Amino acid sequence: MAELPITTMVLVILGFVISGSLGAFAYFLPAFMTAFGATGQKSDIPVASATIVAATPTPAADAPFTVLLLGSDDDQKFDPDHVLTQSMILVRVEPAAKHVTMLSIPRDLWVPLSTGGSAKIDAAYAYGGPKAAIATVERDFHVHIDEYVWIGLRGLTRMIDLLGGVDVVTSNPVLDDFYPNDVDSRYPYGIKRVAVLPGPQHLNGKMALEYVRSRHSDLRGDFGRSFRQQQVLLALRAKTKYLSPADLPDLATVLNGEFKTSMELDRIRHLLPVARQVAPEAVTQIVLVGGYTSSEQIDGQYALVPIWARILPLVHQSFP
Amino acid sequence: MMRRGLTLTLIVLLAMVAFGVGVYARLASFKTRGVVAASPNAPLRVSPKFRLPGTMFLAQGGSIYRLQGGLFRQIATGNWTQPVLSPDHSQLVAVARFADESDLYLLDLNGNIIRQLTHNASRVVDFNHWSFYPRFSPDGQTLFYSWDPKNQDNLYRVDLVVYAMPLAGPQSRARAWTEPYFWTGGDVQPVPLRSGSLLYTKFDISDQTNQPYSRIWLTTRAGAVGKALTLPRDNCAQPALSPDETMLAMICTAGGQTGQLVVAPFNGTTLGPLRHLIDGQLCAAPAWSPDGTGLAYFAATGASGHFQLFYLAVPPAPSPSPSASTAASTSPKASATPSARPTPSPAPLVPIQVSYDLDFDATAAPAWSAG
Repeated sequence: MAELPITTMVLVILGFVISGSLGAFAYFLPAFMTAFGATGQKSDIPVASATIVAATPTPAADAPFTVLLLGSDDDQKFDPDHVLTQSMILVRVEPAAKHVTMLSIPRDLWVPLSTGGSAKIDAAYAYGGPKAAIATVERDFHVHIDEYVWIGLRGLTRMIDLLGGVDVVTSNPVLDDFYPNDVDSRYPYGIKRVAVLPGPQHLNGKMALEYVRSRHSDLRGDFGRSFRQQQVLLALRAKTKYLSPADLPDLATVLNGEFKTSMELDRIRHLLPVARQVAPEAVTQIVLVGGYTSSEQIDGQYALVPIWARILPLVHQSFP
Repeated sequence: MMRRGLTLTLIVLLAMVAFGVGVYARLASFKTRGVVAASPNAPLRVSPKFRLPGTMFLAQGGSIYRLQGGLFRQIATGNWTQPVLSPDHSQLVAVARFADESDLYLLDLNGNIIRQLTHNASRVVDFNHWSFYPRFSPDGQTLFYSWDPKNQDNLYRVDLVVYAMPLAGPQSRARAWTEPYFWTGGDVQPVPLRSGSLLYTKFDISDQTNQPYSRIWLTTRAGAVGKALTLPRDNCAQPALSPDETMLAMICTAGGQTGQLVVAPFNGTTLGPLRHLIDGQLCAAPAWSPDGTGLAYFAATGASGHFQLFYLAVPPAPSPSPSASTAASTSPKASATPSARPTPSPAPLVPIQVSYDLDFDATAAPAWSAG
């Protein structure tokens, strides 16, 4: 048998390499597309923060940083570019210490907005997107925010379903006769009844959303909801420890259009092992309930007026 | 010669395409999603790994299954949950749950509907009601359950109240037994006693932490205030009384995200020291074996986190006499390990995992009879 010329052999090997690369590229294409469209949204970071980020060298992988988590009702009732943030959670991640602090910001908090005037803090995102939400929180809470993550209602439910549900010890019977029937509904202004029974159980995306979103029959109102949101976030963290990079395309597919972040893929890659390593007892949960706000009617709306003299010292214990 | 060269080139090209597809498939095989989000089996397709005595009724995915002689049989499908057996073990009551309401139905042991017991449906969404946690009185004549009366002063307030109605009906004769703390979600999981008293789970919200917590509560008659049998810090719920009514099993979370399986001696009015049987695992919905020597319960397992059926033989308590205190205090916790550690029993307790790859409804305790 005649020997193949070396150029032919090289071409054949190159062909296999290209073919294999194309296979890998095709597999990760959804993840690449989501990464391209949804991650690294640095233009959403306010100028002041961006300057700080740009002025400092690339942070070490184990340098602590602060993320603003934003969750929105993004059903048909709202203009997709002007949604309220029903959930705002400041998260301080200290990779070296393997410690995480979560601080829920009440959505009804009446504050000066970075875009001008005063309103409930959930309107900041509606008026100016992530940039305004970050700038508002930074200015009012005197903290520096490095990154943000935004997720829509459907994104949360799809992600939980993708992960096969989450295990949660639901704190009490969560009952709501006026729960918005706005997800996958033809009439988004309707209501439905919700009953999440108490105790350890496995929640799918829909049930988990009902658990974290219901607020009408909770003595603590939005504060109760904040506790529950943090609880489900921790349950999600517990589930993500089983994920591998091969799961990214599926995750990207379900989050398509329902997820945005300023974080680069590299930072997310560094963050995943940290999420796995942090023990549940190393997560400090803070909800501004009991003496940090007073409720008032402002411009005909129910609002919470912040008592900054109490809030700021608490916040600065964990957030620089 | 040229034809041979073309064939060879075609084969090599096909091999390259196959290699690319192979790389794609190989990457997909690294997905853990199939493990994390594994679809549970229907109980019909699997055999339990351990044969429990008697007959057990369990709920999964809207169906009720009968486990007997080591075999599951589906007896009802749809929206069913929380099956309970009548004291003579001849009938079941179960909850049929729909989008905005739930109702109690009397069923035979093959899952056929005998009668609808509650009528909670309404065309107006917020006029619907929930019925959950049915339980027969020991004489089988009365049905206890949690129901949500409408609050005329504030329509947003929805708290479950334990009601009792004659099994023969009608629902209009149902009488409230408990008075829930406002805006807590209310009172659930009634367990009627032979004495006529009632055990149940009562929710409250802590003034110190602003967190909800639950206590096992005892009341002697309808409308009485009653008293707590467990402490707020233990956060206990899901009471299950042994057949001779001398031991109470429950799930205590102590405010955390684990469900500890706990037992305590009970003399009809007070609880003895709590004994942690299983710690560091997410346990739920205990039920005593018909002879009172063991407990069935559900626990989350593996990456999927689905709840599987477990069985644990319960050793006798070292000191069975209940204390005179109003609310029992907890004995020191066993260390959190995946396997059971009794306190203070010297030999480690080893729970037996009965089911695999199923997904039982952890809010519906198994109903277990000797027959």
